Amino acid sequence: MKRRLGRLARVAALVLVVVWSVFPVYWALKTSLSTNAASQSTPVQWVPGHLKLTAYQALFGAGPESQDAAGGIARSLINVTVEASGATVLTLVIAVLGAYAFARLRFHLKGLLFYGVIATLMLPVYATLIPIYRIMADLGLVDTYTGIILVYTSGFIPLAMWIMYNVFMALPLSIEEAAFIDGATTMQSFRKVALPMARPGIAATAIVTFLFGWSQFIFPLVLSSSTSTQPLTVLLAAIDSRNVPYTIINAAAIIAVAIPAVIVFLLNRWIVTGITAGGVK
Amino acid sequence: MGNPHLIGARSLVRGRRDGILPYAMVAPLVVFIGALAIYPTVLTVTEAFFHSDPLTPPNHFVGFGNFSAIFANSQVRHSIENTGWYALFGVVLTVGLGFGIALLLQRPFRGRGVLLAVVILPWALPGVVEGVIWSWIYSPTFGVLNSGLKSLHLIGQYQLFIGSHQIETILLISLVQVWQITPLATLLVLASMQSIPDELYESARVDGATWYQHITRVTLPLVRPAIAIAMAEALVMSVNIFDQVYVLNAAATTGSSLMSQTYFITFQDLNFGQGYALSLFATVATILLSLLILKVVYRKVEYS
Amino acid sequence: MIGKRQRSICKTAAFGVASALVLTGLTDAASAATIASLNKPALQDVTINVAIAYPAPPKAMLAAFTKSTGIKVNYSYIQWDDLQTKIAAAAEAHTYFADVADVDWSKVGEYYETKWFTPLNKYFNVASLPAQYPQIASFIRDGELLGMPSDVSLLVTDVNTKDFAKAGITKMPTTFSQYQADLTALQTKGIVAHPLDIPFAAAEGLSTYWYETTAAFGGQVLSSTYKPEFSSPSSAGYKAMAWMVAAYKNGLVPKGNLSLEDYQGFSDDQAENLTASVFSDYSGDVGTVYDVASSSKVVGQIQYIPTPGVSGPAPNLANPDGIGIPSTAKNVGAAVEFIKWYDEPANQAAFAGAEGSSNSISGFPLPANTGGLAQLVSSGKVPGAAELANLAEHHSRAIFPAGAPPWYPAFSNAVYTNLHSAAAGQESVASAISAITSQVSSLGG
Repeated sequence: MKRRLGRLARVAALVLVVVWSVFPVYWALKTSLSTNAASQSTPVQWVPGHLKLTAYQALFGAGPESQDAAGGIARSLINVTVEASGATVLTLVIAVLGAYAFARLRFHLKGLLFYGVIATLMLPVYATLIPIYRIMADLGLVDTYTGIILVYTSGFIPLAMWIMYNVFMALPLSIEEAAFIDGATTMQSFRKVALPMARPGIAATAIVTFLFGWSQFIFPLVLSSSTSTQPLTVLLAAIDSRNVPYTIINAAAIIAVAIPAVIVFLLNRWIVTGITAGGVK
Repeated sequence: MGNPHLIGARSLVRGRRDGILPYAMVAPLVVFIGALAIYPTVLTVTEAFFHSDPLTPPNHFVGFGNFSAIFANSQVRHSIENTGWYALFGVVLTVGLGFGIALLLQRPFRGRGVLLAVVILPWALPGVVEGVIWSWIYSPTFGVLNSGLKSLHLIGQYQLFIGSHQIETILLISLVQVWQITPLATLLVLASMQSIPDELYESARVDGATWYQHITRVTLPLVRPAIAIAMAEALVMSVNIFDQVYVLNAAATTGSSLMSQTYFITFQDLNFGQGYALSLFATVATILLSLLILKVVYRKVEYS
Repeated sequence: MIGKRQRSICKTAAFGVASALVLTGLTDAASAATIASLNKPALQDVTINVAIAYPAPPKAMLAAFTKSTGIKVNYSYIQWDDLQTKIAAAAEAHTYFADVADVDWSKVGEYYETKWFTPLNKYFNVASLPAQYPQIASFIRDGELLGMPSDVSLLVTDVNTKDFAKAGITKMPTTFSQYQADLTALQTKGIVAHPLDIPFAAAEGLSTYWYETTAAFGGQVLSSTYKPEFSSPSSAGYKAMAWMVAAYKNGLVPKGNLSLEDYQGFSDDQAENLTASVFSDYSGDVGTVYDVASSSKVVGQIQYIPTPGVSGPAPNLANPDGIGIPSTAKNVGAAVEFIKWYDEPANQAAFAGAEGSSNSISGFPLPANTGGLAQLVSSGKVPGAAELANLAEHHSRAIFPAGAPPWYPAFSNAVYTNLHSAAAGQESVASAISAITSQVSSLGG
């Protein structure tokens, strides 16, 4: 009997956890698919009566309530994808190389450089926002994909490097030692032995980094002055003002979370690996 | 995941002359961090000691002038106090919930993978978007929280949740961030739990321990390092809370945070010098507090 | 052993990096070409960046502009607060971000001090402007024209005529005491539980509400030398604040309004028939916010009335938007052309709805010039346009007689945060007033 109760309690708790995690997103989705009147009823309708796509149509410029904020949504989706992907690729290359060096090689200044990089994880955004803007401006890179990718990369490297460092540290030394005994150079050992074994960790880092890139707000707000580079988060902030109906605001929110949600459900294994590699000493 | 206590590379390159290779491998890293993180920070640190305000040029050295000005400002003091609450709620709730959820997911069961994906979801979404979604939930005129509480007869009429009382406002805004970062704590603790050998639970069971004692005597001490790290990360994120405060509290004093206050001082009052000073203060406070947590809570755990 | 595999990993990585860089390089090559072309003397094939806090003009109109001038417009609709951040960040870093940008009436003092915007005196005949632009005064500081008005916007009072009729009120209130009595009647007769709509979130909309209420009480908030005129309990500003806070505390205003910003307040309350009157609304909401069938429950019911002051109709304060040229702009000539086009009376009338809502800009208030106003009124397509045009041309004045002070944002911040706290019961009206007063003196007023 006690076992049964315990079991029941556990299931109930798990259900609560699921509701807690998913409900807000469900609610935004439900609102985005309702009519304006239905979304503002008191008490609320828990399940939408009639599903309407008018909110989404409005965002993309079709339909009676067109809100196509200067052709923004489609373009900003492209922008955020390019920016997040570009930053992920660049970050990975740099972080993997550096992490391997810290994990496996000895050299002077190693400790200083390592902790110097990790320390930057503690910096709040404002410590660097304006000076970075100045630097990008002097290089003529404001409102360019290159500039934004470079800035994102500099922000993502510490965490990516930390994760990859833990990944490399966790690899069994014996296989690499065997390669050395066979006469491999460091680079060969890196490319032929360590990298392949670290592939899951690399995949995990890539996904985590991409998700960070997708969520950026303050930096692109300042660094991207026009629709040609502004990502979805910045556009959402623009829409969440004036008297835009709540159905449309929630629709924009759903569009912004669609890709991360898909990534989470398809690739959650890698995300778990990434985060835990970053946290466990 | 390999031996978690692999001691670092020593024998690997003994006697080898890699010479310049390690430097070549870390060079891009160092250049990026140096140019786009360290250098700007140095700039910020130095500018914090200058009067830098486009409305009243020119810039000149003022020593600690910016700092005394910001601490004399009652709005800043409010935001510091509020941020203390954000940190308290953020750390306690995040790590508490994270630990609890990790416990539920500790043993493998059918569908655990899917459940894990569901748990991670809030962490993957942009903070600004979450702020917007939750502000709709909290809406005093059409919000589902009001509607639900009223249907359950827990409240008589629709309440204004955000804005009237300080602690209530902070708690509810903090909750949105907790919603976002709990998955991180969950995963950290969960991963650490995976390393606990079953024998320890076995022997506890043999000794007649209740499930509660299983947790307090076996699990908790052994996941302490993970909890310490989760606490430190929750602390950093809650002290720096911005996106949710910006959406839900805007410029009100009630729920302002250090970072939102820095934003308004910098971009609205255009007092860049004071903005830099406040950022510097926040950075130093964050570092000291996280080091403190790690010192107090972290214990190295080794399995022989 | 060693060879193919490690080479292929290397290749993949290199390919990845290369493609990322190439991708970004291509787009940047395109934009570099654009920037290079901006230095061409002629205006052909020029592209300008425009950043304004309103949605873009209809595509067809922009296309017509490009066709006739050869100037391509890269339009960014950025939310007002975020846009101000961007303007500040770019200016502080001395970098280019747009050729045409938003110049709010409240920032003119600031821009005069910081020189972030180029004076337009060279391109527009300043002497002739006041006759055409009712609200031009807000944009001229010490003789320098820092932006051209891009609309006419007033703080106006509106009521729900249906609710008023139900309460038996046949004549609209003309004095403040009548207005107060009417609100109370609506409440006691059970027509509307909380008839007054004041958006009490700590944001700019609350500050302007207070300025208009102060005008109704017969005064102003700052003198022409920027000294506070609200500090004494008998002053208009003090009384206005006391009235607003009391209205909230006594339930004349819905409790939930503490967290609502201006437009949220209007669309959540007034458009849903939860309130019956907005004392300080934005001109242009009738016809847009309140009359869109899919989102408003009060279509056709809201009407403007002259603002009831303590001794007759009060002035309607002007809060216009403007557009100007940042000092770092790259193509001033093209920017000027765009401003001239934006302000053309026919275009202004179209933005405001003279050619139907499909050819308008959502949320656009009134045309900036008398020509545009006349065209709007004669089109008959926008309800209330005639009354508003009349108010704009004959009953309106600037919020600050000397123009907005350079430290206006910090002042407004002090106003709305303290007014918000007072309504929330966190401080008394007296302490709110003294906090704002001391802020003004520390800012230099």
